[in-house]
Amino acid sequence: MNLSLSKRNYYGYLFIAPFIIGFLIFGLYPVYNTLYLSFTDTTLMTREANFIGLQNFQRLFADDFFMKAVRNTWLIWGLNFIPQIGIALLLSVWFTSTRLKIRGIGGWRAVFYLPNLLMPAAIAALFFSLFSFYGPVNQFLVRVGILPEAMHFLQDVPITRSLVIFIQWWMWFGSTVIIVMAGMTAIPISLYEAAMVDGASSTQMFGRITLPLLKPILIFIFVTSLVGGMQMFDIPFLLTDGRGSPGSSIMTNNILMYMKFSSSRGHIGAASSVGVLIFIMTTICALGIFYFLRERD
Amino acid sequence: MRKTVLFILSLLIISSLLLAACGPAATEAPPTEAPAAPEEPAEEPPAEEPAEEPAEPEEPMEKTVLTLWSFTNEMETMAVAYECLHPEVDIQFTMIPMTDGEYQTKLLASLGTADAPDVIALEAAFVKEYVESDFLADVGDLMPMAEAAETFPFVIDVGTHDGVTKGYSFQATPGGLFYRRSLAQEYFGTDDPEEMQALLSDLDKFVEAAGVIKEKSGGDTYMVGTSGAFWNPFLANREQPWVVDNTLTVDPMVEKYVDIAKLFRDEGYESQAEQWTEGWFAGMSDTLVDAEGNPKQIFAYFLPTWGLPYVLAQNAAAADGSTDTSGDWGLIEGPLPYQWGGTWMGALKDGDNLELAKDFVAWSTLDQEHLENWALGVYTNEYLKECDPEVSDDRLQPPGDFVSSQVVVEKVFPEFDDSELTSFLGGLNPYAAFGKAAPLVNAKLMQGSDDAIQRAFEDARDQYLAGTITKEEMWAQWKDSVRALFPDLIVP
Repeated sequence: MNLSLSKRNYYGYLFIAPFIIGFLIFGLYPVYNTLYLSFTDTTLMTREANFIGLQNFQRLFADDFFMKAVRNTWLIWGLNFIPQIGIALLLSVWFTSTRLKIRGIGGWRAVFYLPNLLMPAAIAALFFSLFSFYGPVNQFLVRVGILPEAMHFLQDVPITRSLVIFIQWWMWFGSTVIIVMAGMTAIPISLYEAAMVDGASSTQMFGRITLPLLKPILIFIFVTSLVGGMQMFDIPFLLTDGRGSPGSSIMTNNILMYMKFSSSRGHIGAASSVGVLIFIMTTICALGIFYFLRERD
Repeated sequence: MRKTVLFILSLLIISSLLLAACGPAATEAPPTEAPAAPEEPAEEPPAEEPAEEPAEPEEPMEKTVLTLWSFTNEMETMAVAYECLHPEVDIQFTMIPMTDGEYQTKLLASLGTADAPDVIALEAAFVKEYVESDFLADVGDLMPMAEAAETFPFVIDVGTHDGVTKGYSFQATPGGLFYRRSLAQEYFGTDDPEEMQALLSDLDKFVEAAGVIKEKSGGDTYMVGTSGAFWNPFLANREQPWVVDNTLTVDPMVEKYVDIAKLFRDEGYESQAEQWTEGWFAGMSDTLVDAEGNPKQIFAYFLPTWGLPYVLAQNAAAADGSTDTSGDWGLIEGPLPYQWGGTWMGALKDGDNLELAKDFVAWSTLDQEHLENWALGVYTNEYLKECDPEVSDDRLQPPGDFVSSQVVVEKVFPEFDDSELTSFLGGLNPYAAFGKAAPLVNAKLMQGSDDAIQRAFEDARDQYLAGTITKEEMWAQWKDSVRALFPDLIVP
C-alpha cells in the first residue's frame, strides 16, 4: 500500500519535472540575473563590470525621462483598455442575449479576432504608410476638404498617441470578446430566466447577475492586459523611429529599456534597472487588483 | 509493464530537456564537421548517409574553419572566392539581417563568448563602436598593403581609433548629388555636369539654386526630397565631433544645417517626403503627386556610390511602366563632400584562428587583384560554382562596386565607359565621377555614439521643422534624450 502510494507521487514529480526545470532555467534564473545586473554597470562592449549599488536607479530618477516612459505606458494602456473592456462587454451581452438572438456569432467572433493574428510589424508598416505625408489618408482628407493641406500625422503628439491606442485596441478587443463571452455563457441560463419571470430589466440582469458572476474573468483580463500593457513594445517601437518619437510621446517602458540596451555600448546594467522597476510596478498593481476585487464574505 | 514504460518515458522527457539546456554550453564542436549538415542529434541518421559521411574525413587535408558573420550576402561571395584560392580553409558564413538591428544585437550578445565569430562585417552606423572597443584585433601591421593599394584615407580613418587600426573596408562610399538632366535644362539652360557643379559648388549657391527652381517651376519642382538629404553632408563637414572631452558639442555646421533645413521647409524647397518613404521613391520615377493630385518633381538626390545601382536605378521606372527616368540623371560632387554607409571588416581578438582571420581581412579589403575582380564583376555565378558547387544560383557580384583602393579605381574606371549605369547617367561614367569625390571625403569625426545622438536629434528636428516646437525647445529636447542615453556624458 505505502509503496504504491509513494511510487505514484514519484511519477507525479517526474512528470512535472520538465516544467519545473524549464522554469528554473528560463524563468527564474533570468529574473535573478536581471536583478543582479541592475546593480552593476555592465555593458556588452567592455569586459569588466563594477558593482555600483543603486546608481542605475538614481540615474533613472535624476531626470524626467523614465517617469515620462511610465506615464506614456499608463496613458496608452489605460486609454486602450477602457474602450476594449467596454466594447467587449457590450458585444458579449448582445451576442449571448437570448432576446436578440444574433446569428453568425462564430463568424463575427472570428472577424473581431482577426487583427490579433496579423503581425505587429505588418500593422505598424501599414499604418506608417497610410499616415505618411504622401499617403492615402492625407490624399483623402485633402481632396474631401477636411484638411486644407497635407500634414505630418506621425509628427503630431496627440495623433500619434491616438494611433497607437487605436491599434492596440483594434488588435486586442477581439480576444477580450472571446474570453468575456466564454465567461457569460458559463453563467447558468436559469438565473436569467428566473430574473425575467420576476420582471427584471436587461440593465438589472447585467448589473445583478452578469457582472458579479463575471468578476473572476474580469480580474483575469484586467491583470493579463495590465501585464501585457506595461510591456507594450512592438507597435510604438515600429510605428515611428524606434525611440518613441515625436518627442518621446509614445516611448513606453520597454522602448526605454531597449534604447538603453541597444545604445552604442549596450548598457545592459542600466537596461536591467528599468526592467526591475517595471517588474515591481506590475507586481504591486496586480496584487492591488486582487486585493480590491477579492471576494468579500 | 505499464509502469516501466511510464518510467522510461518520463526519463526520456527529462533527459531531452536537460540535453536541450546543455546544448548551447557545449560549443566545442569538432571543426571537421560538414558545415551543411543539419543538427539533428535526436534522430538516428538513415542508413545511406553514413556511407557518404566518411568520404570527407578521408580527405588528406584537414580544413581550418573560419567563421564569418555579416549583414549582407555579398560577404558570402568573398568567402567562396577566398576558399578558391585557399582550399585548406573552410569559411562558415552566417548572414544576419540588420533591418531592425538583429545583427548588432546578436553580435553584441556573442562578444566574449565561445559563440563569437572570427571575422565580422561592420556597417558605418556601428563600426566605430567596435573600433573603439577592445574586442577587435589590431590590424595595423597590414598598413603597408593599404599603402601599396593607396586605400582612400577616410576609409582607414574610420577603422582607426587612438592611432590603432582595427578594420579596413573593401569599398569606399563617397556621396554625390544626382540631378534630373531634363529639369536642369529647363531651369538652368544646361545639363552638363561641369556647369551644374559650378552652379551648385557651395551652400549659398545651392540655396540660391533651390530658389530659382521654385520660382521657375511655380513651386512644382523641389530642390530635394527632404532636408534630411543633406544632413549627412553637413555632418561630414563639421570641425569637431559630437563628443569632445566627454562633453556634448554642437558644431557651428550643425546650427547652420538647422537654419538651412528650416529655410527649405518654410520656403517650400523640399517635398517633405522623408527618406525611404513612398513619396521619396516616387520622386525618382517622376510619379510624385501631392495630396490634391498635382504632379510634383524632385530635382536632386544626395546619394552615395551604392545609392546608384541599389536605390536610384531600381526606382527610376514607375511600377506601372508609365514613366522611366533612366538616362535623365546627372552626377556631380555637389556643394559638400561626404560619405554614407559602407562595410568594414574586422577580426575578433579572441578568435581561435587570428592569423587566418587577419589574412582574410587583408585579402578581402586590401588585395589589389581581388578588389579589381570585385569591381569588374569577375566573381560570376559560374566562377563561384567552380569553387563551391553548393553555392546558390543567384550568388554573384555584379560589376560596379566602388572599391577602396585608389590604384584599382584608377585602373578600372575606363572599363565603365559603356556600362549600363553610364547610360543611366546619360553617358557619364559614375566610377570616374565618384573617383573625383572620394579623395575630398573626411571621416575623422565619426564616433561610436554618433548614431544614437543623431537619431535623437532628428526626432527633435522634425518637430521643429513641422512647427510644433520652437528652436530652443528642439535643443532642450534633444539634450534631454542624449542625457538619458549616455549617463556619463556631460551635456551642457
